[in-house]
Parts: sequence; structure tokens; C-alpha cells
Amino acid sequence: MATGRALLGIIALLATALPCGPALAAAQPSDMAVKAAFLSKFGSYVNWPPPAASGPVYLCIVGNDPFGGVIEAAIRGQQAGGRPLQLRRFAGADGAGGCHIAFVQGANAAATASMLGSMRGKPILTVTDARAGGQQGMIHFVLQQGRVRFHIDDAAAAQSRLLISSRLLSLALNVRQRP
Amino acid sequence: MRPLTRLAQRWPNVPMAAGVIAMLLLAAGLAVIFDNESGYRQQKISEIQVQADILAASVSAALDFGDAVAGQEAVDALRVNPQLMAAGVYGADGQIFAGYERAAGRLPKRLAGAPADAGNTVDAMVPVTVGTERIGSVYLSAVREPLSRRITRYSVIGALIIMAALVVIVLGLAHTALRRANLELESRAKALSDAYAELQVQVDERARAEEQLRQAQKMQALGQLTGGIAHDFNNLLTVIQGSADILRRPGLAEEKRVRFAEAIVETASRAAALTSQLLAFARRQPLKPEVIDLNAKIRGMTNLLDRTLGERVRVVTELSETLCAIEADPAQLESALLNVAVNARDAMADGGTLTIRTGNAEPREDGRTAVYVAVADSGTGIDPDLLERVFEPFFTTKSVGRGTGLGLSQVYGFAAQSGGEVKMTSALGEGTVVTIILPCSDREATPVTLPAAANARRGGTGRLLVVDDNEDVGAFAEALLLELGYQVVRVNNGEAALERAATEKFDAVFTDVVMPEMTGIELAERLKALAPNMPVVLTTGYSDEISRSGAGGRPVVFKPYRLDTLAQVLEDVLAGNGEAGPSTAA
Repeated sequence: MATGRALLGIIALLATALPCGPALAAAQPSDMAVKAAFLSKFGSYVNWPPPAASGPVYLCIVGNDPFGGVIEAAIRGQQAGGRPLQLRRFAGADGAGGCHIAFVQGANAAATASMLGSMRGKPILTVTDARAGGQQGMIHFVLQQGRVRFHIDDAAAAQSRLLISSRLLSLALNVRQRP
Repeated sequence: MRPLTRLAQRWPNVPMAAGVIAMLLLAAGLAVIFDNESGYRQQKISEIQVQADILAASVSAALDFGDAVAGQEAVDALRVNPQLMAAGVYGADGQIFAGYERAAGRLPKRLAGAPADAGNTVDAMVPVTVGTERIGSVYLSAVREPLSRRITRYSVIGALIIMAALVVIVLGLAHTALRRANLELESRAKALSDAYAELQVQVDERARAEEQLRQAQKMQALGQLTGGIAHDFNNLLTVIQGSADILRRPGLAEEKRVRFAEAIVETASRAAALTSQLLAFARRQPLKPEVIDLNAKIRGMTNLLDRTLGERVRVVTELSETLCAIEADPAQLESALLNVAVNARDAMADGGTLTIRTGNAEPREDGRTAVYVAVADSGTGIDPDLLERVFEPFFTTKSVGRGTGLGLSQVYGFAAQSGGEVKMTSALGEGTVVTIILPCSDREATPVTLPAAANARRGGTGRLLVVDDNEDVGAFAEALLLELGYQVVRVNNGEAALERAATEKFDAVFTDVVMPEMTGIELAERLKALAPNMPVVLTTGYSDEISRSGAGGRPVVFKPYRLDTLAQVLEDVLAGNGEAGPSTAA
């Protein structure tokens, strides 16, 4: 047992000392850069219903854009389950109906809620950030112990006929289970 | 037969065959172990591969999102497998992302290419992919089943195979041993049969040697017997010849003439008794028992004993007067007493006393009363070792020419045949006592008949044919018959007798029995055809022929015969009493 614990310690040290993940290896990652990288990767773990199941995967920034140029850097060269990943920006929910993944951040909580509400039931994976308020999409970024983590609302994903990979679910802080 | 022979020829190869089979078994066992080992290795590799695949799938998201904690959790889930020595998740650049190791150094810090296949471990490396994109690698390293356990498992198989091989080898060796034992047994049997043959040869040789020994003993006994007879006869002949010489002297006084003539007669009687004894021994002639007064018989023998034993031996008789009569052959009794007395005399070379004692003995076992006659001498005695052998025929302590060795044998035979027994007690230097015990008879004793005077003259008339091949005996018989008054024609063989009988008339024929060419009995038969009513009197000194073919009812006069006896028989025959039984010599 003592050696087991020692090993664990060593591994934990290794894990924290080393810059983890290929996406974050390039530079000193800021929270937003991490979130941008996450956004670029979600597409690989989600199955959309037809007709959204084919063609490029559209990653949309709806409302405010907190990423700046970071998101473009993150998307570059990325694919989503073999499908090309393309970035779109929308000021409001209107016109965002063709999006596959939508990072939703309104000017305030009500605006965010309104946008989320207009997207409900559509096959769009909605993503929100706790820094922008309590409104939660299907995936909700939080900062915990200095690390970017997320909650997943699988029930909402089910309503939108989205299938989130269990591998992604296993990384979530908690999962609101589908009924 | 042929397959058996072939099998037998192959027998020597059995141990080799057993060895080959054992080697094959061992090889098969090794092959099984090797195959098992190799199969196990393949199975282990695929097992680890599958586990690596599972890990790769489960850590792909964690690796993708850089969630080291989740990655570590996924890796840690594999810890339950004790054979898994190290598990690592590496990024696309080969840097370690998460992992664990059971021993330091098991987990490479960086992953560069496929890991070398270490001897005792099974390694697997599979890529971690998201969609089609390779985002890293998973490395697993597992020990195979511990060597000790594998060895245990294989040792069971090995032990079984070794045992089987041993069984085969032992069977082969046992077969060899059996074959060797068989060979040994065969050689022993052969040795045994050789030994048996050798033994047979020895037995034959021994039988031959014994036969030779018997022959030698027979010759020795014969020498003893003939020597003894010659000695006894010489003694008697000395008396007869001496007496006859004196009788031939002219002008002999009448008193002396009678004395010497009687000495001749008496001595001749003893000689006749001796030959009779010999014949009785040779023929085992049955006794002719008569009822006898023992005391009277002994008294009648005292003169004979005195003369026989010589002047240096004093004969004393102590006779009980209350004796019962006994039943025995008188001649044999006389011979027995004489034999004992002569032995006593020989034991008393310097003279002594011979005591003859009679008395009533203990009753016999069958309840009959008995009497004894004991003859005691004051001689040298007999060695106790020899005492039990003295009754054996031909056993004698006397030198050749001093005795026949038949004396005590005759005594023993006489006593036994008379229903009694003979005992001998002796001590060296104190003399010997021979006791003859004879059962009483319930009949009255007949008075002792003294021989009639030899010179009793009888008259005879008639014409006799005398047949004898011996010139002397024939002439003697002729002289006797002429003396008796008969007319005598003498021939010396059967043919001549038949010729004379065919042409002349005879009142009787007196013929010897034992003759060459034609025996007296054959002659008598042929004469019967010629003259059925003519009586034939047979005479013989040797009764074997008569005992074999019988006298045919004709009277027989045994040699040596007395004038008296001859006269009586011829008188009876000529008187028509031709059916008289054989007469005995006096």
C-alpha cells in the first residue's frame, strides 16, 4: 500500500508538472484558450440526428465573443469525427439554426436565457460559461481549482436528439442524466 | 511356431524398444509443454491487447481534453489485474500523460516506437484515436503467469510423462531380468540333469561294486564252508582210516577188532550226520519232529560228547528230573547240542568244564510251558560286539579250516523252527552260556531207539539189477547185496540197465538217481513200461533231483546207507510192500 501511495504521488506530480494534453502544449494556456480548445474538440464526441449528421460541423459563437483570436487558433486543423469544423459568429439566435455547436453568451443572463430558449429542441449542442452567469447550456464550463471543467446536461441533449459520447460524459464534473 | 520364434529372436531388442518408447514419450511431453507455453503466450498477448484497446478507448476523451485525473482514474482501474506490471497513456508527442507501475522502471517516461518484446513480459501498445485522428498511445506491460506456477503446471505433465517413461523402462528391464532368469533357470536345469546323469553313473558303478563285493563275500563264505567241511571230514577220516589200518593187521585180538570196527561205524555215522546237516542247510529241509525226552537224549549223547570234546574237557550234566516232553527233530537237536559243545571246546583251548543243564523255563508268550537246555563253558567268552552276530550264517571267529560258520546258525534255525528260541550270554574271560528254550509237547515221549547192531545178519533171496555210475559205490552196493544173499547184476548206466532188463528177469532194480544221460527216475519210468510190476528202489546222496521231480512213490535209500537199512527196504519191496515211503539214512 505504501508503495502504491508513493506511486500515486509520483504520478500526480508528473501529471501536474507536465503540460498536459497535446492541444495545450504549445503555449501558456489561459482559461479562454482552454475553453476554445475544448470547444473545438466537442464535435468528436457528439452524434447529431440527420440531416445535421453529415457535412461540415459548424461551431458557432452566438452573442458575445470572449475568445478573440484564440478560437481560430484552436480550430485550425481540427476535425470533428472526420468532418471538417467551421467557425461562424452570430450576434443573436436568429440565423444560428444551422449551427451544430453553439457557444452562447448574451450581454446578460436574460439575453443568454432567451437565446438558449430559442435554440431548445433544435439539434444544437449548446455551451455556456459560468463566468457569464448561471444560465446553463448542455455543456457548462466552470473553473474548479484553477482548472477548466464542465457540467453536462444529457437530459437536454436527449431532448434535442443529440447523443453525447460516454467518454465525454466521463470527463464531466457531473451529468444530468437523460430520463 | 514361426511367429513365436521370430518373437523370441526379437526379445533381445525389447529393452532398446522400451528406451525408444520412453524417449518418444519424453519428446511428446516436451512438445505438449512447448505447445502449451506458446499457446499461453499467444493468449496472453491477445488478452493484453484487448485490455490496451479498452484502455485506449476509455482514456481517449481524457487525453483529448488533457484531463489527467480522469486519465489516471482509467489507468488505475487496471490495477486489479495483478499481472499488469505497468500501464501508461502517452500523448501524440510521446510524453507520458497518465500511468502506473508496480515496480520502478517498468514504465518508460517517453514512448518511442513499439516496445521491445521482453522475455518474461507481454507488452502491448495501441494508438488512442478520436475519430480517425491519433492523439496518443496506450502502453501495457504484463508479466506472464509466474514462472513458479507455470513450472508447477508443467511439472505435473512432466511428472506424468516421466512416470510413464519409467514404467516403460521398468517393464523393459523387468523383461530383461525375466529373460536372464529364464536363461539361468535353463542352465540350472541342465546342470541338474547333468548331475542326475552323473549320479546315475555313480549308482551303476556302486551297484557293480556291490555286486563284486557280494561275489567276493560269497566266495569267502564258500571258502569258509569248504574249509570247515574239509576240517571236520579230515578229523573223521583220520579215525576211520586209522581204525581200518589197525583192522588190517593180522592176528588182531577179537576185542580190539570189535572196538575199532565200532569206532569206524560211529565215526561214519558222525560224518553222515555232518553231511545231513549240510544238506539240511542247503535244502532248508523241514524238520521231522518227534516227541523227545530231553534228559534221555542228553544222556544218550554223553559218550559222543566225551569222545568229540577230547580228554581235556570235562562234561558235567545237571539234569532236572521234572521235565516235560518236547517235540523236535531229534537229529537236529543232536546236531544243535553238538555244535554248541564243539564251539565250547574250541573256546577252551586249555581245557575246562562243559556243563549241560536242563530245567523248566519261563512259559512262552503263547502260554505254553517250556524247558531249557543250557550249555555253559569255562572258556574265553565272546566279545560283546560280536555277540549279536554269532547267529549269522557263515559268521565265524575261527580261521579257515577250523569251522564252517554254520554251527550256531543251525542252532538258531533249529530253535526257531521248533517254536523256541536260543539265547547267548557271555563275558570275556568268564565263559559263555548258550540256552536253547523249547516248548513242551502235550504228547508222550517215545523211547530212544538205539541203532540196531550193524552186523545183524539178514537173509535175502532174489535177483537184483544194481545201476550206479560210480564204480566204487556200485561195487560196494554189489558187495553188500551179495553179502545179504541176493543175486546181483551190476551195470553203470541207464541204457545198459534197460538192455539187461529187456532180456533178463529181475526181482527188483536198485538204482542211483543222479547219473549222466539218464537219471534213475527216468530209468524207473522206462522200466515201468518194460516190466510194470518190477519194483525199483532209488538211492541218492543228494536229494535235489527227488525234491524236484519226486520219487514217484518209489522207496528211496539215502546215502550213506547202513547195511541194516538197505536190507529192510529190500525185504519190504520184495515182500510186495513196494509203496513204502522214502526211507532215511540211519
